[in-house]
Amino acid sequence: MGHPSVDAITQEAREAVAAAQSAAELEQVRVRFLGRQGVLTQLLRSLGTLAPEERPRVGAAANAAKRELEALLDGRLDQALEAERGARRARARLDLTLPGRRPPRGALHPLTRVHDEIVAIFAGLGFSVAEGPEVETDAYNFEALNIPRDHPARDMQDTFYLSESTLLRTHTSPVQIRTMLVQKPPVRIIVPGKVFRRDVADMSHSPMFHQVEGLAVDRAITMGDLKGTLELFAREMFGSKSRTRFRPSFFPFTEPSAEVDVLCFVCQGAGCRLCKQGGWLEILGSGMVHPNVLRNVGYDPEEVTGWAFGMGIERIAILKYGIDDLRLFFDNDLRFLRQFA
Amino acid sequence: MKIPYKWLREFVDLRLSPVEAADRLLNAGIEVAAVTPLAPDVRGVVVGEIEAIERELGESHGHRLLLCRVSTGSQTFSVVSGAPNTKVGVRAAFAPPGAVLPGDRRVETATIRGVPSQGMLCSERELGIGPEHEAGILVLDGDAPLGRDLVAHLGLDDHVLEVEITPNRPDCLSVLGVARELGALTGARLRRPKTVLTESGARARALVRVRIEAPDLCHRFTARVLSGVTVGPSPAWLQARLRAVGLRPISTVVDVTNYVLWELGHPLHAFDYDTVTDATIVVRRARAGESFTTLDGQTRALDDSMLVIADPRRAIGIAGVMGGANTEVTDATTHVLLESAWFDPVSIRRTARTLGLSTDAAYRFERGADIEALVDASARAAQLIAELAGGAVARGLVDAYPRRRKPRRIRLRMARVARVLGVAPPQAKARAILAGLGLPTRQKGTALEVDVPSFRRDLAIEDDLVEEIIRVWGYDKLPSTLPASAVDVVKHPASLRQAETVRRALVGAGLAEAITHAFSDPARAALLRAPGAPEPLRLVNPLSQDASLLRSHPLEGVLAAVAVNVRRQQPDVAVFEICKTYEAGEGETGAREPRWAAIALTGARAEHAWPTADARADVYDAKGLGEHVLDALGVGRLRPGGPGRLAGFEPDSHGTLATDGGALAAEFGEVAARVREAFGIDVPVFAAAVSLDVAAAAPQPPLRYQALPRFPAVQRDLAFVLGADQPLTAAELEAKLVEAAGPLLRRVTLFDVFRFPDGRRSLAWRLTFQAEDRTLTDDEVNAVQARVTEALKGTFGVTLRSA
Repeated sequence: MGHPSVDAITQEAREAVAAAQSAAELEQVRVRFLGRQGVLTQLLRSLGTLAPEERPRVGAAANAAKRELEALLDGRLDQALEAERGARRARARLDLTLPGRRPPRGALHPLTRVHDEIVAIFAGLGFSVAEGPEVETDAYNFEALNIPRDHPARDMQDTFYLSESTLLRTHTSPVQIRTMLVQKPPVRIIVPGKVFRRDVADMSHSPMFHQVEGLAVDRAITMGDLKGTLELFAREMFGSKSRTRFRPSFFPFTEPSAEVDVLCFVCQGAGCRLCKQGGWLEILGSGMVHPNVLRNVGYDPEEVTGWAFGMGIERIAILKYGIDDLRLFFDNDLRFLRQFA
Repeated sequence: MKIPYKWLREFVDLRLSPVEAADRLLNAGIEVAAVTPLAPDVRGVVVGEIEAIERELGESHGHRLLLCRVSTGSQTFSVVSGAPNTKVGVRAAFAPPGAVLPGDRRVETATIRGVPSQGMLCSERELGIGPEHEAGILVLDGDAPLGRDLVAHLGLDDHVLEVEITPNRPDCLSVLGVARELGALTGARLRRPKTVLTESGARARALVRVRIEAPDLCHRFTARVLSGVTVGPSPAWLQARLRAVGLRPISTVVDVTNYVLWELGHPLHAFDYDTVTDATIVVRRARAGESFTTLDGQTRALDDSMLVIADPRRAIGIAGVMGGANTEVTDATTHVLLESAWFDPVSIRRTARTLGLSTDAAYRFERGADIEALVDASARAAQLIAELAGGAVARGLVDAYPRRRKPRRIRLRMARVARVLGVAPPQAKARAILAGLGLPTRQKGTALEVDVPSFRRDLAIEDDLVEEIIRVWGYDKLPSTLPASAVDVVKHPASLRQAETVRRALVGAGLAEAITHAFSDPARAALLRAPGAPEPLRLVNPLSQDASLLRSHPLEGVLAAVAVNVRRQQPDVAVFEICKTYEAGEGETGAREPRWAAIALTGARAEHAWPTADARADVYDAKGLGEHVLDALGVGRLRPGGPGRLAGFEPDSHGTLATDGGALAAEFGEVAARVREAFGIDVPVFAAAVSLDVAAAAPQPPLRYQALPRFPAVQRDLAFVLGADQPLTAAELEAKLVEAAGPLLRRVTLFDVFRFPDGRRSLAWRLTFQAEDRTLTDDEVNAVQARVTEALKGTFGVTLRSA
């Protein structure tokens, strides 16, 4: 056994610890025995008043008591704190079915999403983006593209004019011209942007819509390259199983020209409402750049060949998301826009 | 253009169904929008004979109901009929049980007056093939084969191909032209319509004179004369054909010209010969101020850019567009002057556009008619008129042909075919394809020489022939390859990257992206136009008055988007748009297109829900989003700009942000009540417009790492009270505060603003001090604080608010 008074103090402290009901009471016990003025502290401090032969024994006993008490207090304190946290939580009674506090959710316009996807696909194939003005000259929008004045081909694109010689571009093709005029081949660009046609807005027409055109000019570019590139695009855009069809068409600025369809992904070609029973969905127009167009920008059609394509972003979005009315894109109803968040 | 399939098969043998033929055409570049049966809704109706009337069942709606025995040859039926023309021995349209009538009406055995009626005898109207009903059942010829399908019997078992011909292929704007394509695609031989023209009597040359005074606009004009014609209705087969292609039958002579137009593609015109003064045709430009009444009864003002057909006295037709009322063929006409001519496409197009007259004739002439085939068309029409309306065709053709077509030859290298396509058929195959299209070829050196016929005006260069070859050979023969790898690094324009950054920032901040039309309404534009701002750009040919301008204010689109949502019961809106405005400018397009990020907010800042206070968006949200955008674009150091340039804000709630260099980068504020009301918005709207051009031009210091502070920071809060009448701004005080504090001040945040009841204002800043090389002492910080306090007191006369 130790020192009689140490033993008594130890015993008393043990009881006090056992009796304490809370972390606060435990803290009081700590102060009472181990604080600056605490009983054990006082005892240790008074060792000097003891007989020298007594000191080691009493000192050892007191230190042992101090360690025991510290350990005891720490253990009980942890328990008490734990119990108190539990009690507090029980009182708070969190209802975790309450809705979370979300940050407001924004939304990219669906046309932007499709635009970004198209740009990313072609960037992967080495195409840079080019841009140009929306107010254009007749010369860039038509004449340079082999569409002379008073030509029936102009009926294909009813045009808004600002003056005799300026207009709202009907396609982004003038940017192809602008690019080729300042850049020597090879050229590999895509041109996204707003275009305008004089069509009254309805389910399938809009006086303003968005296009992405592509242009590749080089020494040995073929129509096979056009076909391969656009097939790859369709697989990236509409899924690896998508099938495409090339069929002849007419555009004044390409020769030969091709229209590209994808197999209807609703009916797989059997015919349904989406494809108007045809089994195929038209997605874009394309062709080999007409030699006159190449000549107009100072390229030699015997030296270089090229191809171009153009697609409506709305058309792709309509097919991709099953949207049934073109006007939805420009109403900007939040209930529509938030579906694409 | 509607093409009946049976008509096509008169000119080419096809072993294809109409749908298969349509598919072949589609794959060769002739789009077929639809293939529809001529009599779409009738199935199972046959020719039946009323063998006997067994008894009378009483009256219904004033008609006697009769129980008949109807035979279809192999079967007999008991049928009740109430038709007035029910007679024994009559052959009529009979729908046995199971037959289907228009509107998906299935015929069943019905009980009428207690007697079962096995099917029904049908009227024209019930069959959907005509209006007739009151006269009774559709009675057929006595030799109509019993039991034969009625649709087949009436020749309605045909399909109509709705073809869409691209502007380069006027040669396909006819039954013969489409037949020629199908022949080339299938290898079947083309059978041209046989014209056996019997001419008699006087020579046409003696009966009519033709003078072309504008040979630049009329390269060829031919005339024939028919005499002793009796004009009347056309026979049923001709009327049926015209109806099938969507034309209205009028009379033999007119119907024949329309028929030949459809069949051969060349527009013709018939004049009443006796109304043409001096039997003389003059092809001339119209005189300025000349007016003319066309066949449709409209009087039209002509000008000297237009070509007319005239007699010595007056105009009698607008060349290639429409004939005149003064020389119209009527029932009284006995002599016909038949015109078959060729007019300049550009002139026809301009005239038709100017007059707002689009006719089948103008449509073909402006795309380019066949200057050689017009002779055949004239003969074919003369023959048909003579057959159907009687009369004699005068001998010969008056043919004025001042501008003879020059033959066109194109050199074709097979190497070019392969170069353009990446593949080429064997030369023999290519020659066969061209021959099938009517393009004879011959070897000339290493290349081929191809003769272009007069009907293919679209073929001008070698690559046109490349297209012809692959079009017929099949686009499925094209290989799928990728272009050789690119040499250049992919590089997107700065504007595109900038727009992406703005979108990311604003979508992250909870806004929805809007895209709106670039058009503007003059009334709204006037409200949004700042005094002295340039006029908005105006469309020459707008779709409507309220979309006749180009947008000149960046907020117009987002305000429209707010209006749509508020109107549709969505009161909380936070939208942005990356848009352009348009203004007159220098350069070839005559326009400048400044770029903007436009932001508009209304209603609650966040959706009203349990954990969020129902705070309304206000002008500081608009400002904050403007700052957020500029910050995201690397234009972080902003200060209040001078007066704004944009109209449309409430004057007391219109602020600006300027870059470090002083350029006006953004404007924000509360949208003026009368502006938003013009959009139909009756709640406050806050908006910001950030100039992306200014942001792009702002200096962008390169991003450099700064060492993290190694010594602790000290925070002090200081509140100042401003007198009620002191027109000081927070920015002025803060600028002075920062200046007075010196380099130890690391951060300053205005954290509390309020107004006392007496009008005084309190502004409280939290100041964070930190040194790079030591721990700051209280004394040091106290000294700075005292300096700041004194500076603000001394400069502005504000007082320090004690805690």
